[in-house]
Amino acid sequence: MTVNDLLWFLYLYPLRMLSVVGRRGLIYGIGRLAEPFVQFRARERRNLVMRRMLAAQCAGITQDQALKISRQFIANSNFRMLDDLVLSSPSFQRMLRCEGVQGIEHLERAKSAGKGVIVLTAHFCACRIAKRHLATIGYPMLSVRDPRPPGDWWGRLGRRILEPRYIELLQAVIGEAVYVHDRGFTLKIVQRLRSGGLVNIHFDGQSGARAVQWPLLGVPRWFSTGIFDIIRLSGCAVLPMLCLGRSTAFRIVFGPMLDMVQVSERDEFVRANLPSFVQTIEQQIRDNPGEWEQWTSF
Amino acid sequence: MDEFLSGAPVDGNPAAASRDTMGRIQKVFVDSLRASAGERDLPYEQKLDEADSVDSIAVLEFMAAVEKEFGMAIESEFLDFDFLRDLPRLASYLEERMGRRPGSQT
Repeated sequence: MTVNDLLWFLYLYPLRMLSVVGRRGLIYGIGRLAEPFVQFRARERRNLVMRRMLAAQCAGITQDQALKISRQFIANSNFRMLDDLVLSSPSFQRMLRCEGVQGIEHLERAKSAGKGVIVLTAHFCACRIAKRHLATIGYPMLSVRDPRPPGDWWGRLGRRILEPRYIELLQAVIGEAVYVHDRGFTLKIVQRLRSGGLVNIHFDGQSGARAVQWPLLGVPRWFSTGIFDIIRLSGCAVLPMLCLGRSTAFRIVFGPMLDMVQVSERDEFVRANLPSFVQTIEQQIRDNPGEWEQWTSF
Repeated sequence: MDEFLSGAPVDGNPAAASRDTMGRIQKVFVDSLRASAGERDLPYEQKLDEADSVDSIAVLEFMAAVEKEFGMAIESEFLDFDFLRDLPRLASYLEERMGRRPGSQT
């Protein structure tokens, strides 16, 4: 058993049990106490994040800012994991404190077209709590996910016992989801859209058989083009969403619908619409660099 | 009584599917999946499985091509991979839907 396995064990058993009995204050208290240790354990990751931020010249982050933001990044990752425990609690609703949902009129307008809505996000720490909150106020959202946990954290014992438990936790926390390795998962997405529903796609994720390279913050990055095929074939609306904060205080901001350039040819459709998608998430990251979770894969 | 008028669900009776409709679907299938599926001579179901495992968007394109060929949108409750994979059932469903159209002959 490695140190990582021991920490995962504490997270997945004693801490999770506390969340089941609905003690968010206690969980957060432990999180705050553990923060210096977490920052120390994650120092290599923090340095990696700093290097990536400085390499992304278009983000306009200075050396001093990168140091501060990378610490914030680690703290946010830590509290995002605690928020996952909060969400796994049967009484999670009373533990979420939403400070406001802005731009709900954009969401209503997008829905009113009747062809469903793709809610476009980047990987921000508060996305999960925001989606669960939206579901409780009448806006359930189907999440599109890669089933693999985003890291290789485990020792041999952890991989056998703890990783399946973590996957099970994630599935409970995320709620309604479709997995990119499921048979015919694109049909499930279109099914939801045709019934006028909402589908959330993290546009900065890197899954899918078809991808195209485009600069994000000045650094070349692969973007899956499957989303564009779904939009082209379903005629759905696309709406950006930004989620910020923690379960103790978070807010959700919907932007206006993206104007899609309508072209019937597939590659042309991607070329015509990709820049505005990238620009949308790029702006969100520039404005909130400490809350973006993808610096390590950048 | 007409199923449409009676409000009964239409989910296709495989036994009633005509060869002509199945042939049309298979032609659409070959045309739409040409780029995604290999050249191997496999049955319809296996080729659809293969296409889905390589690129799930190909299945969506096949669905769109079927809708275009038959001039109708497949109802959302039938947007299911196993349903699309069952050729006689899909053919029967499309025939029943065509039969429900105003002015069409059944």
